Amino acid sequence: MRKWFARLAVLGVALLVAGQGATAAQAQEPAAGKKIVRIGATQSMDSMNPFLAVRLVSTSIHRWMYGYLTVPDSKTLQPSPDLAESWTTSPDGLTWTFKIRQAKWSDGQPITADDAAWTFNKIMTDEAAKTANGPAVENFASVTASGQDLTIKLKTPQASMLDNPIPIMPKHVWESVTDLANYDAEKYPSVSSGPYIAIEHKKDQYVKLQANPNYWRGKPKVDELQVIFYDNPQAAVAGLQKGDIDLLGRMTPPEFEAIQNNPNIEAWNTQGRRAAYLQINHGATTTDNKPVGDGHPALKDVKVRQALHYAIDKQKLVDEVQNGLAKPADGSIVPPMYKDFFWEATGDEKVTYDPAKANKILDDAGYKKGSDGVRTMPDGKKKLEFRFTIHTETPIEDKLAEYLTGFLKEVGITLTTVKLESSKFTEETGVTGNFDIAISGWSVNPDPEEVLATHLCSRRPAPNGEGGGTESFFCDETFEKLYQEQLKELDRPKRAEIIKQMQERLYTQAPIIAIYYTNDLEGYRKDRITSITPVPEDKGLLYGGSGYWPFYTVDVKATAASGGSGSGGGSNTGLIVGIVGGVVVIGLAVFLLSRRRKNVADERE
Amino acid sequence: MTTPLEAAEPAAVQAAGPGDERSTRRGTLQYALSKSGGALFSIAMVIVGTFFVFRLLPGDPVRNLAQGRNMTPDQLNLERHRLGLDKPLIDQFFQFVGDTLRLDLGTSYEYKRPVLDLIGERIGPTLLLAGTGLVIAVSLGIWQGTRAGWRPGSRFDRFSTGASLLLWSVPTFWLGLLLMMVFGVGIGPIPGIFPFRGIESVDAPDGFAYILDVASHMVLPCLTLVAVVYAQYLLVMRSSLLEEVSQDYVTVARAKGLRDDEVRRRHAVPNALLPTVTLVFMRIGFVVGGAVTVETIYTWPGLGQLFYEAVSVPDFTLMQGTFLLITVSVIVMNTLADVVYHMLDPRVRSA
Repeated sequence: MRKWFARLAVLGVALLVAGQGATAAQAQEPAAGKKIVRIGATQSMDSMNPFLAVRLVSTSIHRWMYGYLTVPDSKTLQPSPDLAESWTTSPDGLTWTFKIRQAKWSDGQPITADDAAWTFNKIMTDEAAKTANGPAVENFASVTASGQDLTIKLKTPQASMLDNPIPIMPKHVWESVTDLANYDAEKYPSVSSGPYIAIEHKKDQYVKLQANPNYWRGKPKVDELQVIFYDNPQAAVAGLQKGDIDLLGRMTPPEFEAIQNNPNIEAWNTQGRRAAYLQINHGATTTDNKPVGDGHPALKDVKVRQALHYAIDKQKLVDEVQNGLAKPADGSIVPPMYKDFFWEATGDEKVTYDPAKANKILDDAGYKKGSDGVRTMPDGKKKLEFRFTIHTETPIEDKLAEYLTGFLKEVGITLTTVKLESSKFTEETGVTGNFDIAISGWSVNPDPEEVLATHLCSRRPAPNGEGGGTESFFCDETFEKLYQEQLKELDRPKRAEIIKQMQERLYTQAPIIAIYYTNDLEGYRKDRITSITPVPEDKGLLYGGSGYWPFYTVDVKATAASGGSGSGGGSNTGLIVGIVGGVVVIGLAVFLLSRRRKNVADERE
Repeated sequence: MTTPLEAAEPAAVQAAGPGDERSTRRGTLQYALSKSGGALFSIAMVIVGTFFVFRLLPGDPVRNLAQGRNMTPDQLNLERHRLGLDKPLIDQFFQFVGDTLRLDLGTSYEYKRPVLDLIGERIGPTLLLAGTGLVIAVSLGIWQGTRAGWRPGSRFDRFSTGASLLLWSVPTFWLGLLLMMVFGVGIGPIPGIFPFRGIESVDAPDGFAYILDVASHMVLPCLTLVAVVYAQYLLVMRSSLLEEVSQDYVTVARAKGLRDDEVRRRHAVPNALLPTVTLVFMRIGFVVGGAVTVETIYTWPGLGQLFYEAVSVPDFTLMQGTFLLITVSVIVMNTLADVVYHMLDPRVRSA
């Protein structure tokens, strides 16, 4: 009887200690009453220095911290005023004058055109400063400031001037930085002009941003944004399910399906800004037209590339590889969400799934089937056996490879899969040209100029086989001419027409074959986030969008003062700790009691 | 209850006898010196190897830093120059060896900070997680191994050996995710109770509550780590105990009428511990390397995560630095294990 009493007493003490632990932890909860939005990210920040940062997550965060000349309008995605409140262009299109708005940096200093001029000049003159946005100033002849007026003189006309990706930096803070290449800008609070100021960054763990009280549009509704990094996407999805984070973007179809049935989560499925395509080695060359790489000679024949296009059942890929969460591509690199610039094939030009036609094209072009069902080149030397290069450890691409292998077998082409780790992948498919067909894709900005430019002759590797930034090793006179034309065209609808012609050229020449436009898959806690405006506003993107609009407009419930609710991950800590403490104490008690009993038994022997 | 203590001494130590004490000590010193020489040689080879192995890896670090963006040849060259990659390989090599000997592990390409600083920041969380995991795994392994080895074939033996082998063969990543779903997110009516990201909450409290916060973050990664590694301690302990059980001195001890429990604890276990001790020492070296997988699953800010990040860039200097640290600590610990074993077990000495 006494033993039971002792056990009960210990259990009581344990529970008491556990309870104490829990209340102590809860009393410490510092976030009580604040409005905090926690965003999950599966990529961590490469640098807080906007001159160096190139990762998507970093540029997104910098979009929330700094002002730019313009920002895509939240409804039309057309350029609209940001730090520049208005602008004029000279008739020859070579001189642009921006009027910088009267506003203040977060430290109270006025924002002037001088800040903008310093930023652009820095990038134009300092090689290290070019790291992130070098190409954006390549065409600048000079940048000068006078009061609130910023004048940019260009070498040649450039229609995409209003989509400049460079954040304007505070000159008075940054001009003292001498070695920009090694400056990580880890000084907090940051001096910013955007809606948020960075106040803390723990590398690979999280970034905390605070609402900027001096923001010219007015202070955001929430007090704090936290970007929380996960090394592993499954953990991020689990974090959203548990409520540790409030919003998660850029999910894969299986991840998205995992959150769909959670009543607390709004599964956000919209048209995305990404086009997925097959990059075809149609004869990779350097800028001096010397062939590089070991691409299959048959792929130089545009008929073979077109036959490949007819052999692919894009609808099936969408249904079975992307779980229906994509749109089959009947266009090229600009996804349909950009209504102004999107081009879609129609009529005779439109390639639909037709293996018979693919077979006929290849038969007519002299690629005869051998006894094993595999075609050979017209000269009979080489079989049509292509490699398909994908990334290691991307299950979706494995699946894609399986389907493509099946499709091409139907038309007498053998496809074998090559898996490369991502750094090697970039090198072989973008520089050395050691591939036949590779998976590729691009997230397109509201102005598609940059993605179009990746198919220019000049983007191929330099004669020494280095540099460049090509997506396809494409070099086509017609395409080049159209590119130059659209640069000069300041009339938006006319420019859009030219851009559509460029996409048509890519479609018919097929250095790349667009297969689908993946949906933008995101999720947020509807029990926490009370409102958020996407870009564009009619069912557009959240985290995946460009600009700060969703995170400027977001509103959430304030963090509960007492914590302990299922939705507040941080406030659960007390409870968790209590339980852990309890378990440990009970375990210890049981152990000690059992030992005592054993000792007694021992003595009896 | 005080049975003659001599009988309790490990038989092996008795064999050495008190007269051999001094020569034994000198022998150990000599042994330690020769072992250290070997270790130094290994470390030198590792330094040389590290440099060349990492240059064989695919991928151009400069291009990878640009994340596939368009870069002019000028920019590429500038970046190469900054990283010292434009110098002849042999110059880079001597620079590397010289710097390493001065304990300068270079500057990380990606973080743009000294590698030694980065390692310094990350070693704490790794030691905390892997150290705790090691202590728990060793204690649990030795305890279960002892129980299992003492009564081989018993239900306890079959159960614990089977369970540990099962956990040993389960992929760490899968087990980690499973634990995360069950104890982190919660399944059905069971609420998730443990956090599963990082070492602390984003809004971590101060003082004592902070310690509790970290402790709660440790539960799942620690559990995963222990589950997959404790089998080796269990098996080694079990088999070496099995070996001891058939020895004459155990029979003698039993014949003297000592209680079973006492024979086990005072006679068999101390002798059987030897191989386990060596194993533990060897593992301490690996502990510094951290459990890369576990740290990646739970976003634990340790060396494993740092190494993972370095490999995916690839960040040569950071990779070299972390790799060197891990290998050197494994070598040092192995050498220590050899010496300790030598001191503890005279059978090694005479051999």
